[in-house]
Amino acid sequence: MVKEKENSKFPPLVDGKSRYDLSSGKYLRVWQGPQHPGITGNMSLELTICGDEIIDCKTHVGYLHRGFEKLMERRKYIQCFPVVCRICVPEPDFNEYLFAACTEELAGIQIPEQAEWIRTLNLEMARLTSFLMWIGGQAGSFGMGTIGQWTVTLRDYMLDLFEELTGGRIYHMYMLPGGVRADFPPGWINKLLDTLKTVEKTLDDVELAMMHNAVFKMRAKGLGIITPDMVDKYGITGPNARAAGVKRDIRKDSPYLVYDKLDFDVVTGTKSDAYGRCEVRIREMYQSIDLIRQIVEKMPKEGPFFTKLPNVLHWRIPAGHTYKRAECTRGEYGFYVQSDGSDKPRRTYVRGPSYTHAVALMEHLAIRTNIADTAGLMVSLHTYPPEIER
Amino acid sequence: MTEFNELSRQFQVSDLVEQRADLHFITASKEHAVAVVSALKERYGYTHLVFFTVVDHLEKNEFHLTYMLHNYEKHHDMGVVVKIARENVQMESIHHLWPAAATYQQEMREMYGVEFPGSPGLYENFALEGWEDIPPMRRDFDTKEYSDKTYYPRPGRESHDPREYMKENLYPSEAETW
Amino acid sequence: MSLKDIIAPFSVWKRALEKPYTNRKPIETRPGADRYRGFHQNAIDQCIGCGTCEEICQNNAIDLVPLEGKTSSHGDSGLRPKIDYGRCCWCALCVDICPTGSLGMSNEYIWITTDPEDFRFIPGGETKPWDDRAEGYRRAEGYDLLEAERVEMPMLSFEESQKSFIEMVQGYSKEQAMEEADRCVACGICIATCPAHMDVPAYIEAIRNDDMGEGLKIVYNANPLPASCGRVCSHACEYVCAMKHKGEAISIRWLKRYIIDQIYLGDYKEILKSADESNGKKIAVIGSGPGGLSAAYYLRLLGYEITVFDANEKAGGMLRYGIPEYRLPYEQVEKDVEYIRQLGVTINQDLKIGVDRDFKTLYDEYDAIFFSTGLKDPYGLEIAGEDLPGVQSGLDILDEVTKGKTPDIGKSVVVVGGGNVAMDAARTSRRYGAEVTILYRRREVDMPADEEEIHESQGEGCKLVTQAIPLRVEKGDSTRLKLFFGMAEMVDQGEGQRPKPVLIEGSEEVIECDTVITAIGQEADYSFIPEEIGKNLVFNRGMVQINEFRQTGDSKIFAGGDIANRKRDAISAIADGHSAAKGIDIYLTNFKDK
Repeated sequence: MVKEKENSKFPPLVDGKSRYDLSSGKYLRVWQGPQHPGITGNMSLELTICGDEIIDCKTHVGYLHRGFEKLMERRKYIQCFPVVCRICVPEPDFNEYLFAACTEELAGIQIPEQAEWIRTLNLEMARLTSFLMWIGGQAGSFGMGTIGQWTVTLRDYMLDLFEELTGGRIYHMYMLPGGVRADFPPGWINKLLDTLKTVEKTLDDVELAMMHNAVFKMRAKGLGIITPDMVDKYGITGPNARAAGVKRDIRKDSPYLVYDKLDFDVVTGTKSDAYGRCEVRIREMYQSIDLIRQIVEKMPKEGPFFTKLPNVLHWRIPAGHTYKRAECTRGEYGFYVQSDGSDKPRRTYVRGPSYTHAVALMEHLAIRTNIADTAGLMVSLHTYPPEIER
Repeated sequence: MTEFNELSRQFQVSDLVEQRADLHFITASKEHAVAVVSALKERYGYTHLVFFTVVDHLEKNEFHLTYMLHNYEKHHDMGVVVKIARENVQMESIHHLWPAAATYQQEMREMYGVEFPGSPGLYENFALEGWEDIPPMRRDFDTKEYSDKTYYPRPGRESHDPREYMKENLYPSEAETW
Repeated sequence: MSLKDIIAPFSVWKRALEKPYTNRKPIETRPGADRYRGFHQNAIDQCIGCGTCEEICQNNAIDLVPLEGKTSSHGDSGLRPKIDYGRCCWCALCVDICPTGSLGMSNEYIWITTDPEDFRFIPGGETKPWDDRAEGYRRAEGYDLLEAERVEMPMLSFEESQKSFIEMVQGYSKEQAMEEADRCVACGICIATCPAHMDVPAYIEAIRNDDMGEGLKIVYNANPLPASCGRVCSHACEYVCAMKHKGEAISIRWLKRYIIDQIYLGDYKEILKSADESNGKKIAVIGSGPGGLSAAYYLRLLGYEITVFDANEKAGGMLRYGIPEYRLPYEQVEKDVEYIRQLGVTINQDLKIGVDRDFKTLYDEYDAIFFSTGLKDPYGLEIAGEDLPGVQSGLDILDEVTKGKTPDIGKSVVVVGGGNVAMDAARTSRRYGAEVTILYRRREVDMPADEEEIHESQGEGCKLVTQAIPLRVEKGDSTRLKLFFGMAEMVDQGEGQRPKPVLIEGSEEVIECDTVITAIGQEADYSFIPEEIGKNLVFNRGMVQINEFRQTGDSKIFAGGDIANRKRDAISAIADGHSAAKGIDIYLTNFKDK
C-alpha cells in the first residue's frame, strides 16, 4: 500500500515511478527469481528495496522463450496443432481451441455441434484445473502449504480425466482444426461428475481454511489494489478486472462455442486486491463446476465430433486474418492468425493475459509493497510467463 | 460502418474489411495511424488495447503493424493495420494512450527491430538477453539455419526417401529412368 | 477480524484422520489410460514404409530406415519408421495419418534404460514389452485426416453406354480433379511399380497447384502417349497406392488424363522441350504402336532422325486397332501421335516390312533399328468347326470396326476368352445390338482382363459363363452356328501354381449363336526378319530376348512391346521404347563409331 508521509523514507514518485539514487547507499537492488516465485513459472523480478519495502520493480522474462510464434511459420497448419498447447502449461486447451477456431474461420469450416459442446466442456475443465493449481500457489506463497497439497491432488484427479479423454495429462492435443479427436470414453461422464463432487467438497474446506484465515486476510487484503480506472490503461482482463467490479466476461459478452446456451452470471467483486481476486476466483471455480454439470446435462448424447478436412499434408488456407478470444482463468486469451494463402501460417500472434498483468501491471503494483509479499502479489495476478514470451 | 465513414473523412484510412460481425479491419496510413487509434479510443469507445504486433511481409518489403482495439460497450473489435517499409522502421509510440503498450513496443523493437522513439524501456532487453543476431522474428531470420549453426544434429540419424530407396533397390539401371 | 477467522483454519485438522492421497512406497506402477499416448507400436508387416508419418511429424522425430528381413518390393518400400524419442512430442499425428493403419501407440510410458541411444528404435521392428499391448492410442472412429474414398468418376450409364461408341468415362471436372489430387499423400510408392516409372506424385501436385503445363512436362518425361495412357493404362500404380490400404487408391490414371485433356495439342510445343539439333544419325522404327512411338519420341528429342514404318493405314497400333472407341476415342490416339509427328518424326503408313520393303535394306541404310511389331496372329480354338463362316477372331472384329466397317455378327454372339480383347469384342458386339455370352475356361477371379472391363461388360448386359470349355462348333438350325461346350472343374496344381481347369466328363451344353468370337490370345509374327539377321536374335516361347536396354542379340537391333515384354500392356511398351532410346543412344555414341 502506498503510504505517503512527511519525511517519508521513500523516494518521490514521478509518473508512478520512484526517483532514487542507488549510489546513496539507502537502497539495495536484489533479484527474486528466475526460480518459480510461487507457482508462476520462471521469470524474475529485479527489485530495488529500501529496508524490506520495494521502491522499484523491473520484470525480466526470457527464461522460457521457445519461439512458438516463429516455430509456427515453418509448420503446416496441422503441424502447429501439437505446438500451440505448449504455450501454457496449466490450461493448454485454450491454445488448442483458439488456434483451431482461427484456422477454421479462415478456412471456412463449420464444426459439428457435438464438437462445440465437447470443446466447451474441455475448456471449463481446463479452467477448473488451472484454478486448482493457482490456489496451491496462492496459499503456498502465504505459507499455507497444506492447502496447496489438497488442490494439487485435486488437479491430478482432473488430469486423470483429461488423460482418459484425450490421451495426455498435461498437453492434451485434443482440439484440432475440424473438431475434436475422439468422443467420451465409456463411463467417463460419471467419473467426471464424481470428481466434481470431490472438488466441491474440498473447495468448501479451502474457503474455511484460507478465505477465513486471519493471517491470510491480514496479508492479502489491501495488497496490490487494482482500481477500475487502471483496467483499460493496463489492458487488465479476467478475474483481476472483475474483482474491481468491472463486469466483463468474454463468455457472456461475446459468447463463443455454446456459452450462449448455458446459464451463468458474471462473477464480480468490489475491490481488486489479492484477497478480492481470490474470492472471485473461488466463486468462479464453483461456477465452472456448475457449468460442467450444465454441459453434461444439456449436450446431445451423440453425434459427429469431427468435420472432414482437406488433406492436411497439402492444406492451404485462403489469405486473410482473424482474431479469436476466449475467457481463460487469467483473462482474455486470444489468437491472431494471418494466412497468406500458403500451407503455413504467416503469423500467429498469441495474446496471453499475463502479458500485461505480469509485466507493466506487476511493475506498477509492486511499488511500496513488502518484499515478503511479492510472491503472493504475483500469484494473485495469476500469471504464467510462457504466454508472455511465446 | 459509421466509425469508418467518419474516420475516413478526417484521416487516411482505407480497406474496411468485415471479418466477422464483431471484427473489422481497417488500414491507416503511417502518418495518421496513431491519430486514428487515439480517435477510436477517445471518441468511439475502443478503450481496450487487445494487442499490438507486427506481421512481416518480406516479399513486399513491408511491416504490417497491427493494433487490435476492443469496444466493451459494443463488444466489437477493430484491427488497425499500418503498412510501413521495412528499412529503418520507426513508428510513433502509443504508450501515452495505454501504459501497457510500452511492453508491446519493447518486444517489437527486440523481435522485429521496429523503433518507437520515446517509449519507456524501449532498449532494455525483453526476452533475448545477449542476442546479437538480426531481430529473430523477422522472416529473413532463418531459424533452421541458426539452429544448424548453433547446435549439432544427433549423430547416427539418417532417413531414406521411399521413392529413391525403391529406385536403388528395384530399378537402379540407367535404362529405366533417364 | 472475527473469532471465526481465528478458529476456521483449524478445520484443516479434521483431515488428519483421512486416508492420505499419496501412494506408499514401493510405488505401484499406474497404467496409462486406455487412450494414453505412450510408446509407439507398429504392425511391421502391415506397414508399407510410405513415410507419411515422417512427413507429418512436426518435430522431425521419425526417420525411415531399412529393417532386416524387409526388402523393397512393389507396394512396400522396405523401409520402416524409426522414432527418436528425444524429439517425439507424443502428439500421435503419425498414428492419425498412417494410411495402412499399422501405427499405433501403446499406453506404456515407463521405460528405463541407461543408454540414451535405446530411446531411438524401430517400433515393431525391435521387440519391446509393449508391442502386443491392446490399450493405447488409436485413431478414433469418426475422426480421420485422410479421405478413403475416391471422387466418383462421371460415367455414362450402362443403358446409355451400350447404345453407342461414345466414350464411357466422362473425365473429371477441375473441382473433381483437384479434390482427387488432394487425397494423394505423395509417398511415391507407385513410381517403382509404374513400368515407365512416371513421377506420379509430381504430376498430381501439379494438379493441386492447377499448373497444367508443369503437369504435362512431368508426364512427357516418361510417357509420350499420355492421352491414350490416361484412358486405357493398366494402372499397376493404383494397385500399390498407399491409399488403397485405407480404402480406394488415388485415381492416378484419370488424373493423368485430366492434365492432358486441359491442354490443346497446339500449345504442346510451347510447354514441352523441343528436339535437339539433328545429329545426322538415322533410326528406323518398325511398328507405330506405343513401343515404337515412344522410342521415336525420345530418340527424336536426342536429335536422331526417325523414320517409322507401319503396316496399317493409321498410326497407333493396338491403341487404335485393338481398343474400341468407347474406351479410347481415336482423336485421343491422334493427339498423341500428332505431337510426335510434329516433332519431326516421319511416319510411313501402309508400308509392310518384308513385303513392301526389305528388312535387310533398312538394316543397311539405318544406324539402328527398333522394332515393336506386336502380337497380331490370334490363336485358334483348335476345335472342330472352327473354320465355319461366323467364327471370327476378336482382333478382326475390332480392326473392322476401327476401319469403319459394320461387322457381320448377327443377333447373337459368343465370345471365347477372358482377356481385354474378349471384353472389348463382347462390348463392341453389344453396341451392334447382339446378345452376348462370354465363355471363359477358368474362374472370374482368374480373368486377365481389367476388373472394370469385366464389371462394365456385365453391366452392359454381356452374360458371363465361367469354367466353360468350348468343344466344337456346328452349323446351327435357326441360327448360323451352335457352340458346344463342357463345364470344367478347377484342379489344384500345388503351391504356387494356378489351378487348372479340367473338363468334367459328360458335361455338355450348347449355345445357339450367329457368331463365335475367339479371343484367347495372340502370337507374334517374325517372318519379316530374314534368316541371316534372324539367326543372331534369340527367341524364347515366341518372344524376342532383350537386355535391359532392350537390345537384341544383334547389337544394331532393339525391340520392345508385346513381342518382348510379358506384361503386354501399353505402358510397358512405352517404357521399352524409352529404355531402347537410351540404349540406342549409348550404342551409337560409344560403340558404333569405334
